[in-house]
Amino acid sequence: MARASVRSGRAAVRPFLRLFVAPAVLCALGFAAALAAVMQYSLRAYVPGSLEAGGFTLANFAALIRPLYARVFLDTVWICFLTASFTLIVGYPLAYALVHARNVALKSAILVIAVTPLFLGEVVRTYSWIVVLGNNGFLNSMLLKLGLVDAPMQFMFTEFGVITALVHVTLPVMVIMLAAALSHIDRDYERAAASLGAGPIRVFLTVTLPLSTPGIIAGVTTAFAWTFSAFATPQLIGGGRVNMVANLVYQLGFASFNFPFAASLSVAGLILTFAVLALMRAAASPLERIRQH
Amino acid sequence: MPAEPRFSAPARVADGTNGSAHAAVALTGVTKQFGKITALDAVSLFVRHGELMTLLGPSGCGKTTLLHLVAGFLIPESGEIAIDGQRITDVPAYRREIGIMFQNYALFPHMSVAGNVGYGLRMRRIARPEIDRRIADALALVKLAGLEERRPRQLSGGQQQRVALARALVIRPKVLLLDEPFSALDRNLRASMQVELKEIQRKLGVTTIFVTHDQSEALSLSDRIAVIADGRIRQLNTPHEVYRHPSDRFVASFIGDANVLRAHLERIEGAVASVALGAARVTVPMRTLEGSAVGSAVDLFVRPEDLRVAETDAAAAAHGTIAAQIYQGGHIDLYVDAPEVSSGRVLLRVPSHEAASLRPAGTRIAIALAADVAIAFRSA
Repeated sequence: MARASVRSGRAAVRPFLRLFVAPAVLCALGFAAALAAVMQYSLRAYVPGSLEAGGFTLANFAALIRPLYARVFLDTVWICFLTASFTLIVGYPLAYALVHARNVALKSAILVIAVTPLFLGEVVRTYSWIVVLGNNGFLNSMLLKLGLVDAPMQFMFTEFGVITALVHVTLPVMVIMLAAALSHIDRDYERAAASLGAGPIRVFLTVTLPLSTPGIIAGVTTAFAWTFSAFATPQLIGGGRVNMVANLVYQLGFASFNFPFAASLSVAGLILTFAVLALMRAAASPLERIRQH
Repeated sequence: MPAEPRFSAPARVADGTNGSAHAAVALTGVTKQFGKITALDAVSLFVRHGELMTLLGPSGCGKTTLLHLVAGFLIPESGEIAIDGQRITDVPAYRREIGIMFQNYALFPHMSVAGNVGYGLRMRRIARPEIDRRIADALALVKLAGLEERRPRQLSGGQQQRVALARALVIRPKVLLLDEPFSALDRNLRASMQVELKEIQRKLGVTTIFVTHDQSEALSLSDRIAVIADGRIRQLNTPHEVYRHPSDRFVASFIGDANVLRAHLERIEGAVASVALGAARVTVPMRTLEGSAVGSAVDLFVRPEDLRVAETDAAAAAHGTIAAQIYQGGHIDLYVDAPEVSSGRVLLRVPSHEAASLRPAGTRIAIALAADVAIAFRSA
């Protein structure tokens, strides 16, 4: 009797739970199946000249430590690290201004600058960076006109070019996450600090910045993971000279048709992403409760 | 020997009662606008040294705006603000030497209790031993010694409020600002915190501006009350004066309970007038009845405790039927339907010991006036 009433009580609280959860479960099953397929492939042997994979082997993973591939992994982590850092440096002032601006025009200008890149495809954004970074591009013609350089500088096919474009691609996510964190900081904290004698810079350093650390951690980890899977930007701007994991996977899978090795690269990339994110979380955990005293 | 808090009370000016030059806080013709809305309209206010001044008004009346102007979080469009005779109208908040306690306390969640209380001292680059000593004194003052290392979230609401008070006082502010500090506390805690705050404020002699919309809180705590409505100060006086001699209709109905009874003006005698309510007569000041002629209808404002149940019909102000009796402990609230004098219910506040002989709901009674002075306004 009592049990029945508990049941009916639950049903009344969440009557459509099963109905609503069903699509999510289907999606999750699909993803899990795809992931299982990739994992299964990563453990199969490559049969040259055939699209069919051979028997089970660990040789693919053993090959990963060869300098040629290990190098790409290290480069990718380094590019992701730099991209996440620069995105944070560029994104924080934008997010801060977005949250604190009283002027509506300024607010919408920041929002447009920060968020519209989301609505353009990655390929479109990357092509526009080619226009800016090319040897006859906007940046070089400016530098030449201003007399800062004698000959065009090489931006295309460099790590600098790739990271610049990646920062632009990643910026909207960072700004949105930081703005969300900053807007949740009660203005009374900053007012209290000011009343106690802290000037604007000290208010920022001792109150606003520490209270926004959850947003910074979330933004940086997301930017890192987001960049790790970048493909179009390093492909087009790196032009084969700056390779990230996704480009290597593409070359092996669709140029060499070595599906098993491409799969093991993907799996390794996934594991590496998780490892780096876990490391970042661990390193940031003392930051989450900064002690001031 | 118990550690006696080492707070120095600011020296009281011999007679800093009038004029902007000697006031602890002086606002002169201050106007603040938000877009097209005028939050404060040419307000002048002089707070005396060491007094507890309450800004009382309904929400949106401009009282918090006024507090933020004194704190320096807002800059007025026109007018001047001075603290201790020094013009600070455009001095930023962090140079004003003001302690403020917020409604939600705004304790820094990433700092310990000691970190919070010591924040203002660290900003002043005071030496470490002195900081520690003053933190200990301030926490002793608010009876929180021993909780230095706790985090704000590990404290009860009352404890958080004490930390907020200690943090505001430890910098020895020229003015203490309190923004609805008791609204988040439950009733019993609120009463004891009010008493304690008043004691601390007296002990330190710190000039205090207190914002509230709770009229009973204002009456019990304040040295003087500024009643604010629509961006203007409607009345500024002691709690007793504001309660007994409200300057206008708004103040009369906003502060305390008031019965508005239909009466008529019987006789004018210079500055006072006699108003007739049934067989009862009451004297009212003429200043609130400017332009009313003898015989015209007026609204008589009578406090519930100024009405009683009449023994005889001889001096009955009105007759009515008891609609409800509400036992309040020390007194009984008696709601009476008396359609001849009021369209709503008339409230009588009768001491409990007199209530033994009262009759149940539905009984007809005669109401008499217990006071011979009241206040009346022209009929709305």
